[in-house]
This record gives sequence, structure tokens and C-alpha cells, in this order.
Amino acid sequence: MTLIATLSEFIGWLLPFECMQDRFMQQAMLGLVLLAPMAAAMGVQVVNFRMAFFADAISHSAFAGVAIGLLFSLDPQWTMPLFAILVGLAIMAAQRRSALSSDTIIGVSFSAVMAFGIAVVSRDSGMRRQIDQFVFGDILTIDDTGLLCLIALFAALLAFQAFSYNRLLYVGLNPVLAKAHCVHVAVYQYLYVGLLSLVVIFAVWIVGVLLVTALLVVPAAAARCMARTAGGMFWWAIIVSVSSAIIGLLISAQPWADTATGATVILVAFGWFTVSAAVSAVRA
Amino acid sequence: MHLHTSCSPVNPDPQSLPAAVEFRDVTVVRGGVHILDGVTATVPRGGCTAIVGPNGAGKSTLLLTLLGELPYSGRIHLDVAEGRPRVGYVPQRLEFDRGLPMTVEEFMSMGSQRIPLWFGCRKKSRDRAQQLLASVRADGLAQRQLGALSGGEVQRVLLALALQQGPELLILDEPAAGVDFQGELLFCELLEGLRRNRGFTQLMVSHDLSTVTHHASHVICLNRCVAAEGSPQDVLTPQNLAAVFGVHMGLVDRSSMPDQAASCSATCCDHDQDH
Repeated sequence: MTLIATLSEFIGWLLPFECMQDRFMQQAMLGLVLLAPMAAAMGVQVVNFRMAFFADAISHSAFAGVAIGLLFSLDPQWTMPLFAILVGLAIMAAQRRSALSSDTIIGVSFSAVMAFGIAVVSRDSGMRRQIDQFVFGDILTIDDTGLLCLIALFAALLAFQAFSYNRLLYVGLNPVLAKAHCVHVAVYQYLYVGLLSLVVIFAVWIVGVLLVTALLVVPAAAARCMARTAGGMFWWAIIVSVSSAIIGLLISAQPWADTATGATVILVAFGWFTVSAAVSAVRA
Repeated sequence: MHLHTSCSPVNPDPQSLPAAVEFRDVTVVRGGVHILDGVTATVPRGGCTAIVGPNGAGKSTLLLTLLGELPYSGRIHLDVAEGRPRVGYVPQRLEFDRGLPMTVEEFMSMGSQRIPLWFGCRKKSRDRAQQLLASVRADGLAQRQLGALSGGEVQRVLLALALQQGPELLILDEPAAGVDFQGELLFCELLEGLRRNRGFTQLMVSHDLSTVTHHASHVICLNRCVAAEGSPQDVLTPQNLAAVFGVHMGLVDRSSMPDQAASCSATCCDHDQDH
């Protein structure tokens, strides 16, 4: 895996801190700086579409994904993302058709997948570690395959965002209007949800299910306060998330802090949000 | 059936051309309730067709059905020049998130520009937006925040967005809702001028009969099914209105319709007679 090795060394050179000279820390940083901007970019639309609860439901399906892996003796690394995409698309399809309100649909799916996961995993007493990993995430367990998948997802997501950012704004403002004006609303929605599911699953792996929504929403919320334009909102979200990821990981690795990485990253991002909300208040 | 209102329609004889839209026996059932029941109506080409009716008559539903948003039985035929119909839609009140940071210029570019707005609006999009905004008398709004616009300004920006489609058919849902009287008058005059220049067919839902009498060339009186259809002076009779709205509206005074022109008791009549 020479690509990962080269990138890791580059990160070690770029951040010449003592803690960054270990290979596993370099890989953790690589994983975070790949994931954070993806979550932030998708987060802009999560906020525009009011889909925070939706993202939460997908993240909780990760647990059921692991359970399916256990049941059929498949590698959870593959059952998790596949099941998440399935759940995401199913919720979207139900939302588009059903007369029920979308938070009801999500609430039902949410509890169903979660109950299924707990039911299956609870049969196996040796699953404590899986549960810990699911709840808190562990960036240090990310391996070369995981990083390569992240790089591939990053490329796909960049292409999708570049192609769809403007139209997704349209759909977010008013889907009926967008559709009447020849925007292929359904195509954008399903593609978006599929990619969002993948980003969410990686986020569960890295920061844990409790903090996925924060990783999506906090940078976008800060960006809303800072930006004056829709284009600017994208850049602010990226700046907030990437800087939070780098600073958060560095702080969590200090002996005096020794905190969980995901939580530290989110706390830094929340600091950004506080500043941006103050800036926005002063402006008004 | 010719019509010579003070705001004459673009097409003097809508009967001689194929209709722009034909509804044939359109029925919409939601939750066991017939919201529309066998609606058969035509929208003549080039003119301004108004759908009137009381609350819950299915006016907006009929528009949403036409836009393909609701399942229905029956047939809706859009007669278009070629390919996909070019439709412009102005929703009743844009329910959007006013906290979204977005300029009017970006709003105008989000449907037409391919390069992501991360890199700002391209000059081509900016010029086009400027031109369209000028055509709806919203020149000064390009750099404003979308969330900071007044109701009337949002309406005009939405109209500009709809015109960007180069529509053959412009659909408006309650264009006057949420706009003050002056604003409404301006908006209707604006639409008249645009229709004359661009030659689109205008289809609007309105509950304001004074607007309808002045600006419509064809009226569809809807109350789940079509109660009456035709020119304003044929349709907006006290009998029809009483049948549809349930009370005598007293708004349209047919004795004061000189030269077959529809007229009403609203103050905008004075304005119109000044022309």
C-alpha cells in the first residue's frame, strides 16, 4: 500500500509534532482529514434538507449491519455500508410516497433497525467490544483498506458535489419548484442519500454513532452563521471541519489531554460554532 | 365569445388554436376523499386562464396534478411545440428556509449554472440573472440576501426564476397572496406585459375575483368539479358565484361592464379606466 504510506509520511512531515511521527497517528490523521470535509460538504445539504434525524437513523443502522454480518458470517466491513445504503434509500422512497410525516417514517425505521441490531448482538456475550466500537468509534483501528475506501469515496463525493451542489440547493429550497423547472429531483435525492449513507458509516467507524450527526451538522451550522452566500457556506463548512479535525486529533494525543479523538474534534467544531454565532449576532 | 377587457389578451381568438392544456375527467382521491372529481376543462393558448373557487375546491391540487406531483386518474394533455413542455411555476408562497445564506443572484443561477457556486456566479449567469430581474422590475435585488426580501420581492424573484425556463406555460398559484394591493396590481400588470412580449400561456389560481375580472381571458370555476368555464363575463355571474361560493359575492357588477368589459367594485377599476 505505497499510496497510503506516502500520504502518511507526507502528513508526518507536514505536522512535525512528536505525536505525529507514529504511523498509526499519521493514518488516523489521514482518515480524519478525508472524512471531515466529506461530512461537512454533505452536512451543508443535511442542514438545507433538514435531514439531521435522517442521518441519525442511518448511523444507527450500522449496528444492524454488524448484526447481519454476524448472522450470515459475512465481514461487517461490507454488510455495514451495504445495509446502511439500503436503509437510507428505503427511508427516502417511503418519504417520497407515504402520507406519513417524514420524522414519523424515520422514527419507525430508526427503532426497527436498532432493535434488530440489539436483538441479534445480545445473543452473543462476546460482542461487548463491537458495541463499544459502535458507540464511541475508534479512529486508530482504521487500516489501509479502510483508508483506500475513504480515498475512493472522497473522489466520488467530490465529483458528485461539484456536479450537483447548485441543483441540491434548488431541491433543498423547494422540491416541487425544482421539479417543475426540469431538475431531476428524485435522481439527486437518491444519489445524495446513497453517498450520505456511506459517509455516515465511515463516520460511525471513526467517531462513533453518538457523534455522527455532530460531525455533519456542526460545521454546516457554523458555516451558515459565517457565510453570506451559498458558495461561501461550502468553504466555511470545509474550513471549520478540517481545522477542527486537525486540532482535535492533536489535542487528543497530548498526554495532558488524553481524550477520545471524536469527542475532541466535535468540541473544537463547537468552539467554531460559538464564535460564528457571536459573529452573526454582532453583524445583525 | 370575444373579449375586450382593458387588458386585452395576447391572442384575440383562443378558440381557433389548439388548447395549451386539456384536462379530461381528472379525478384525484386522497385518503378516500375526492379532492377533484371528473374535472374536464381547457386552457386556451396564449391567454390568461384563471382558476377560481372557494377554499378546499381543489384549485392548488389541480395545479399540482398538472405539475405531475399528485397521482390522478383521467388525462392531462399539454400541447407543446416540441419535446418536453417548458413550464414556469410560481408557487403560492415559497416555503423556504430564510436562514439559508444565499444571494438573489445565486438563487437565479442555481438552476442554470453547471459550475458549482463555490466559485461564485459566472459572468454569463450574472448577466442573465440581471436581465431577468430587470424584466420583473427587480433590478436592484441581485446582491441582496434571499432571506431578507419582502413578500412582494420574493414573488417577483420567483417570477424571474420561472421566466428563466423560457416557459410556454406559466403556472402561478395565488400570485397575489401575501402581497399588498399596490404590489398585486403591479404584479398583474407586469404579467400582462410579459405575456404580450413573450407569448406564453398563463394559468393561475386566484381567490381574488377582482384580479380575475381584470386580467383573465378565460375562467375555470372549480369546486371539486368544474362548475362553469368560459369568458369572465359569462362565468362570473351572480348565479354561478352564489352556486360555487355559497354566498352572493356582490363583487362583480355586470351592469357596469361597458363594451362587454368585465368590471368590479374594487378600486383598481378606476386605475384601469385611466388607460
